Amino acid sequence: MCAQDATMGKDAARAEWDNPMQFVLACVSYAVGLGNVWRFPYLCQMHGGGGFLIPYMLMLVLLGVPLFYMELAIGQKMRLGSIGAWRAISPYLGGVGMASVVTSMYLCLYYNVINAWSFWYLFHSFQSILPWAECPVNSNLTGPVEECERATPTQYFFYRETLDISGSIEENGGIHMGQALCLLLAWIIVYLFIIKGVKSTGKVVYFTATFPYLVLIIYLIRGVTLHGSINGVKYMFTPKMEQLAKPTTWINAATQIFFSLGLGFGSLIAFASYNQYNNNFEKQAIIVSMVNSGTSIFASIVTFSIYGFKATFNYESCLERVRLLLLNTFDLAEDTISLENVNHWIAELNRTHPEQFASLGGRLETCDLEAELDTAVEGTGLAFIVYSEAIKNMPVSQLWSVLYFIMLLLLGMGSMLGNVIAVITPLSDLKFISHYMSTKTLNGLVCLFCLLLGLGFTTRSGNYWFTMFNDYGATFSLLFIVLIEVITVCYIYGIKRFEKDVEDMLGHRLNCYWKIMLAGVSPILLIALFIFYIVNYIQGGTPTYQAWNKELGKSVVTEYPPYAQAFIGLLLASSVCCIPLTALYTYCKKRNLASGKRERTVSTVSA
Amino acid sequence: MLVWILFLLCQVGAPALAQDLCQRDAPNGYKVRISLKTALGEDAYEWNQSEMFFFQATMAFAMRRHFQMETYNVDNIILCVQTSRVSFWFVVTSPDNTTMLIPKADVEKAVRMSRHRINNAFLLSDRTLEFLGIYPTLAAPVNPDTPPWLIVFGVVIGAVCVGIIALLISSLLQKRRKEKGMTEDGQDEEDMQVKGVENGINLDGTYNRGFTDDDRFTKL
Repeated sequence: MCAQDATMGKDAARAEWDNPMQFVLACVSYAVGLGNVWRFPYLCQMHGGGGFLIPYMLMLVLLGVPLFYMELAIGQKMRLGSIGAWRAISPYLGGVGMASVVTSMYLCLYYNVINAWSFWYLFHSFQSILPWAECPVNSNLTGPVEECERATPTQYFFYRETLDISGSIEENGGIHMGQALCLLLAWIIVYLFIIKGVKSTGKVVYFTATFPYLVLIIYLIRGVTLHGSINGVKYMFTPKMEQLAKPTTWINAATQIFFSLGLGFGSLIAFASYNQYNNNFEKQAIIVSMVNSGTSIFASIVTFSIYGFKATFNYESCLERVRLLLLNTFDLAEDTISLENVNHWIAELNRTHPEQFASLGGRLETCDLEAELDTAVEGTGLAFIVYSEAIKNMPVSQLWSVLYFIMLLLLGMGSMLGNVIAVITPLSDLKFISHYMSTKTLNGLVCLFCLLLGLGFTTRSGNYWFTMFNDYGATFSLLFIVLIEVITVCYIYGIKRFEKDVEDMLGHRLNCYWKIMLAGVSPILLIALFIFYIVNYIQGGTPTYQAWNKELGKSVVTEYPPYAQAFIGLLLASSVCCIPLTALYTYCKKRNLASGKRERTVSTVSA
Repeated sequence: MLVWILFLLCQVGAPALAQDLCQRDAPNGYKVRISLKTALGEDAYEWNQSEMFFFQATMAFAMRRHFQMETYNVDNIILCVQTSRVSFWFVVTSPDNTTMLIPKADVEKAVRMSRHRINNAFLLSDRTLEFLGIYPTLAAPVNPDTPPWLIVFGVVIGAVCVGIIALLISSLLQKRRKEKGMTEDGQDEEDMQVKGVENGINLDGTYNRGFTDDDRFTKL
């Protein structure tokens, strides 16, 4: 009993949020991240526009809110980080906390690289011509650089000047100094935010949680006033109900809710552990989940109005090129063909001058607005390529660029805070660490460690490793972790004891909604998701990635080499196997302890 | 009489000869394409014979400037194949011998040298006054000594480092002050023991474990 108390740490000395508002804003800042901006709009587009909201909202109610509630309850009750909290719930399942810490560590390593890119783009926005607006000139000043010609200026800037990407994951180059500097800056800022623990974090989240909304509103106003934006918004919201019949839609909705809320990383437990014991987390859980989903929808309106603008711009540029081509080939006066009657003239000229028309051959492009809108992109491609392409065509593009990348930075930094605190809180709860160093030193060491390892992502092949971590580092392990969490709390710890704890904290019992969801619906949905992931992974064959080919000027699908595949396996296994290994270790320790006691009792009796 | 017939023939023949020299896809000629409405929009002037004459004069000027010979004249610039696009072909004849054409390469050099002047004469640009086959020389990229992004980076990282150092120093000073026993309300130090503080009197209390939940830990 006493030994266990010693590992728990003293309740009385724990730091706390200044007020519940800081806690709510911290959760909002953590949950509302880059995924709301670059993953949800993509899913919305892929799965039938407005119709996607139905599975999304359903999954929020069935899966998202109950699990969010559960994590907050655990953190607030146990008042420890994930390792200590899960060890307290069940000593055999202390590994769950460790798995969370490992996964959060992986996330910390690669997530800050996105912030480094945002800094890079932000600093490059302070120029009269945005560097991704035009192709740079080649060395003999005859034309643009070839790679840039084959691709687009925005792609060239991202792949060549920002990443200096190599042709495949095997070709490692040196570290990109600019990237390394930006990563250093990103980590220094993270350290500044967490330097005094929740006291400093609590003040920072006022800004990181609210300012992105200001920028989103400004962008919404700018977006809907752009020419052609209505095409994008209409396209997005037109529901295609037949998509709802596909199981992938529902699975993607569940996964999006799951990852968007940041469950399973231990950040929520860590945040809640700094709460007052009687804090009303029930209301807060619902508020934060709703705010997160609302932000996703809001951000997708902004994204789609920008999409619509970009698609319309490209479509009209295409029409302009076709118009010029026709004018130049047939030597017609400039004002005969206008943008509206291009298609009419194509038919006309084909009829009147068939041989000359045929000589145009492949140079005549077909301009299709639908095809432009259909180019759905997600992830870093959306944020850094598509968006910057749209921004460069806006008037006063430097201002919009600066605003946009500041928003991306705040979203990313807010999520980083949660990730880093998820790692630091359990570590600082461990007795032997808190005995030897102060929180500031621990924070500094963790930041330094992550920075040094993160430099690997700034090498020339760094983006490929980044994608690998992004796709495999946290997805599968999280599902497993949260599944074990829910089963532990409901069946091993017992839903009755959980109910009593909640009643102790909040003053009222769990109502049936929470009980049914936590004990029944959520585990079933999680198991279904888990099985789907495994099946998908096995069926997918060799894992592949998109490698940038500089000759072609576009990405090609390449298979991972064997050592990279082994590394993927290591990523998946390393966090998941914490759970069985810790259980085994605890079991052996208890057995040794128990057999040791039995021997002593036997000897006393016999003596 | 004969002289007069010869003279007549020359008058007729010369333009005919000129027409032979200048034709579509002439080996030593260039096609020029002008996009007035794209360049000037509402302020576009009308392209007429006077403008064509102006073009001839400008080209003659370009040839004079390049070869440093005062002998080039508007007659040496022959235009043909005019279209309503406003495009036409031109060839340049040598001032000494009107049947001989100046080679393409020399014409190109002359145009390149005076391209800026030719563009400005017509209020156009490289893109709207095109000499098909002569690519404009692009402006050399401006390479500042310090890339501008580095300057912004330096400012931001400087500010952040100053912030960190300030925070560290302030907490160090607070700790020193506390060690000297001068603090009474150390709310912003995370290592302080929270003892009951009521009406400014420190109540020394210890956490009584007698009332802890016994079944808080899962039984093995």
